Amino acid sequence: MNINFWQITPVVLFLIFIAPVIIVLSSLFGEYSDNWTHLYNYVLTGYILNSLWLVIGVSICVLVIGVGTAWLVTNYNFTGKNIFEWALILPFAVPPYILAYTFTGLFDTFGTANNLIRDIFFLGDDFTFFPKVRNIYGAIIVFSFTLYPYVYLVSRMAFINQSRSILESGRTLGFNQFQVFYKLAVPMIRPAIVAGLMLVIMETLSDFGAVDHFAIATFTTGIFRTWYGMYDLETAMQLASLLLIFVTIFIFIERRSRRKAAFSIAGSVYKPLKLSQLTGYKNLLAFIACLLPIFIGFILPVLELSYWALNYKLDFFNQKFISTALNTLYLSIAAAFLCTLLALIINFSIRYKTNNFLKFLSSFLTVGYAVPGLILAIGVMRLLTFLDRNFTIEIFNLVLTGSLVGLMMAYIIKSYALSSTTFDAGYERISPRIDDVARSLKTSGWNLLSKVHVPLLKTSFLTSMLLVVAEVIKELPATLILRPFNFDTLAVSTYIYAAEERMYDAAAPSISIVLVGLIPIIILTRLIRTSRPANRDN
Amino acid sequence: MENFLQIKDLKHSYNSNSEVLKGIDMEVAKGEIISILGPSGCGKTTLLRIIAGLEKQSEGTVSIDNQMVADHLHYIPTEKRNVGLVVQERALFPHLTNIKNVKFGIQGSDKDKASTALDFLKLFKVEKYADNFPHEISSGEQQRVALARAMAPNPKILLMDEPFGALDKELKLELRKETKKILKDNGITSIIVSHDIDDASAMSDRVLIVKNGIIVQNGSPKEVVSINSNISLKNS
Repeated sequence: MNINFWQITPVVLFLIFIAPVIIVLSSLFGEYSDNWTHLYNYVLTGYILNSLWLVIGVSICVLVIGVGTAWLVTNYNFTGKNIFEWALILPFAVPPYILAYTFTGLFDTFGTANNLIRDIFFLGDDFTFFPKVRNIYGAIIVFSFTLYPYVYLVSRMAFINQSRSILESGRTLGFNQFQVFYKLAVPMIRPAIVAGLMLVIMETLSDFGAVDHFAIATFTTGIFRTWYGMYDLETAMQLASLLLIFVTIFIFIERRSRRKAAFSIAGSVYKPLKLSQLTGYKNLLAFIACLLPIFIGFILPVLELSYWALNYKLDFFNQKFISTALNTLYLSIAAAFLCTLLALIINFSIRYKTNNFLKFLSSFLTVGYAVPGLILAIGVMRLLTFLDRNFTIEIFNLVLTGSLVGLMMAYIIKSYALSSTTFDAGYERISPRIDDVARSLKTSGWNLLSKVHVPLLKTSFLTSMLLVVAEVIKELPATLILRPFNFDTLAVSTYIYAAEERMYDAAAPSISIVLVGLIPIIILTRLIRTSRPANRDN
Repeated sequence: MENFLQIKDLKHSYNSNSEVLKGIDMEVAKGEIISILGPSGCGKTTLLRIIAGLEKQSEGTVSIDNQMVADHLHYIPTEKRNVGLVVQERALFPHLTNIKNVKFGIQGSDKDKASTALDFLKLFKVEKYADNFPHEISSGEQQRVALARAMAPNPKILLMDEPFGALDKELKLELRKETKKILKDNGITSIIVSHDIDDASAMSDRVLIVKNGIIVQNGSPKEVVSINSNISLKNS
């Protein structure tokens, strides 16, 4: 095996996986059609304003929920605190589009919640207690209660690492507990909060399922309509490029904040936090503050979906559901395996060749998680069409467009960051001296990878597989666009049923997605438990 | 005596500003044990890594057993140099039993590998832990397994980086004595990198002192000890 394999492979893979994004961006330099002029004159301002309102509303809510609950569970003892610590991450398992479907099912005029109120108080059908949710406010609530765990997680990790001495010095300077919180504790972890917030904003801007269901005109719904409504892929790509530019700005801020956050946590003078015991009404308020986001973001949708699945559609476990679930399973396992393998090869190459250029390429590829699925889908579709027209049909008599190749590509680009960071962490635990000794024992390249690294990275391999499976199962827009004809997955089934207002039929696939979404949460909870709080002296 | 390892005008820098090695010339005879002593950051580990092939030198040449392994045209990678390496943290493969660790670098049939590995474990008195995993034995026993693993493939030269650094005093004395006997009995050319003058004088035929990237002394342990008896090599 040529030694250069480890240098060339990552570069080739990088070029393949960056191509869809380059293709989308290149549309900015192409011709602008009449559709673009129409969008520019009449619709684009609306897209921008709606996206802006969404981002502002969601940001405020996730900051309050995420930072507030993280502060409570890190600094106080109150009823249920030990459960809330991990349960506050549960809404991660519910993709925004599923909460959106549940919300409409619950709060529409004849939804479960309004029916319940009418039944309890013997009111007529014309009485509606809950306000309509299919609007921008409903969308803000949906995004806030499914995405706040991003802010909660980073804030909690940062609060855990805050030294008690710094906060105590605030008290000696005359600050009360609330002032210590907002004048000392929060400013100190600001970079971490900003990093979490940027992820929320990127997810909000990337979403398609929820905003489409609530009929809110944003960039993603606009791109989809331009492509499928106006059949104008070029203009859709130009619109996608604009969104990509916005997202890139947030990626940049997120990366910068994350670097700063690494330096802003407690250093050598770390002294663990001492928890204050809350009693009486303060205990009750803390309990409610932590229960509410879990209730809205997880318990409510799970209860509603289970109710629909069990009471209205007892035959949900039918042939169609099984074939859709199997499609999803095969697809996600295949994508997870490929993505994990790719991340392993690239991370091994970086370590083996100690190459900074490869390190840069890998970190560039990890940005893929932030590229909206819809944009990836457009780029991949365009790339495959180009390849089909020029090479594959003529040379191999093979059509890539509409095959699983495109779908795999989009999934891998989207999930690479999950796999790569998992291996990165795994490699940190293997001493470089192990490699030195192995090489002195005549073991290099593939042998070093297969005989030494792979056995030592088994847990990372499995973790990466599970994380990618959970990510792929949730992915909606890319699957919707790139799936082969008549090939349904759980996310696509959920979307189609919800679009046809068949909420009860959407319940079984939705709940399956939520259940699989619990996998990364279990992994995350384990990781958090093994971090610094185990050392605290409470 | 014939020079088995020859290093000429070796220079190395990790970046343009700092030169770690500033022109090293040294020879080691076949079967000779030498120690390279020096304070932290003096370049002794870099020198060992260049001899092992784990680092490419900026300038100069390295030849082992009359074969040029590194000059401005040639670079033979570690895995093809036939060198043995023992490091302070032992770096045993945690997923393999002790005997499998020792078998790892041996060539030949499975039966031959197993018998050779067991012989080396016996040599270092750890054969009873053959089927244990590294984490199940003490640090001293781990270092014995690491030494057995490095010697089992019959390397041309054995390179040891602070091999007794992490051991307590009693264990260190015992292992030092046994290791020297094994190396001498088997005629293994060895280079030990250390900052401990006692390790160096007890183990070696010759001691080199490196400071600021150059060799400042080269002599028998007795000579070097007498000159440096009042100098701490840990940090200068």
